[in-house]
Amino acid sequence: MNLLKILTNGLWKENPIIKLVIGLCPTLAVTNTVENGLAMGLATSFVLISSEIVISLIKKWIPNNVRIPSFILIIATFVTFTDYFLAAFFPGIAESLSLFIPLIVVNCLILGRQEAFASKNPTHRAIFDGVGMGIGFTWVLVLLSAVREILGMGTFFGFEILGAAYQPMIIMILPGGAFISLGVLVGIMNVINRKVESQNG
Amino acid sequence: MAQEDNNLSRLVITLTIIGVISALALAVVYQWTTPYIEEHQARAREEAIFSVLEGAVDYEESTRNGITFFEGFDEGGNLVGVSFIARGSGYQGAIEIMVGYDPANDEILSISVLNHEETPGLGARITEEEFKDNFANKPIGEYELVSREPTDPYEVETIAGATISARAVKNIVSEAGFTFEEYYGGGN
Repeated sequence: MNLLKILTNGLWKENPIIKLVIGLCPTLAVTNTVENGLAMGLATSFVLISSEIVISLIKKWIPNNVRIPSFILIIATFVTFTDYFLAAFFPGIAESLSLFIPLIVVNCLILGRQEAFASKNPTHRAIFDGVGMGIGFTWVLVLLSAVREILGMGTFFGFEILGAAYQPMIIMILPGGAFISLGVLVGIMNVINRKVESQNG
Repeated sequence: MAQEDNNLSRLVITLTIIGVISALALAVVYQWTTPYIEEHQARAREEAIFSVLEGAVDYEESTRNGITFFEGFDEGGNLVGVSFIARGSGYQGAIEIMVGYDPANDEILSISVLNHEETPGLGARITEEEFKDNFANKPIGEYELVSREPTDPYEVETIAGATISARAVKNIVSEAGFTFEEYYGGGN
């Protein structure tokens, strides 16, 4: 696989949310506003890319038996860093994401990429994988939160766009709305995918 | 990845080294970010004091019966009101609210939510003016949540889709009124 392929892999073909269907906890929990979705996407991407770099660098010295605890330690370090950093410099975002920041540790997308990619590939390839997967995760989060915020509150990024006459569908910003919109989104993606495949075949 | 050399000491040493390096790195980050975080908290507290005690330009801390009260003074040095931080549990975590009182009339001046962990977009709307204004100029007492325009001075309009958070705030502020009367007034 060349580097460009690794990069674009996460955007569509092996997109963590819509194709691999992993990392769903933050996907469902914080996508009720675009600001939260984007912040969560970027925070997760940072943790993902940093841990992929570190793990691909030290993979030779990690005994196979303790690789999972080692990965978790490294991931947790970057998550705690992110938590402090956001609290210090972006207090508004830190406040609205609150406990979902520490929970990035258990996002299986991050551990999954260490197992599947960073621990088997050289660093430069791991960086491309992290960036691709990170962008892939973020764009789905932003799309999902845009749909939910517009339908659920009539706003986009906090700006009113549907006008005062619009009666918001509160279900869309509740957990139920997350399942509904994710289901519809994955369905649409599958239809597009099938169309593309049948054209290519 | 090394497959063969999996003896116990090697496992322990590897994890220890990673743990120590992580801890050192985080200690540095903690040192670096803590002043900023404390500054935000101090500023948030000060902003909350001035926002609930309208007209105050200066404040003094006064501890009575173990609770710290903030007494706000206007430019002429007159007491504008007294506030303190009331705490209670919300939907998924603690809520801290700065409540300002007019001690002369036993009335709430206004409230400001300092910290909360309510659901973004739903329960988090307890921080919006529309909800907080419910409590402005209310007499101290036990409030009641209603889902229409309040008609009685003890009624508070709820937030659609966030009744639990709205009720939590209502309870904390009701409770705070009694705490204020007992500890601030009674402590003299």
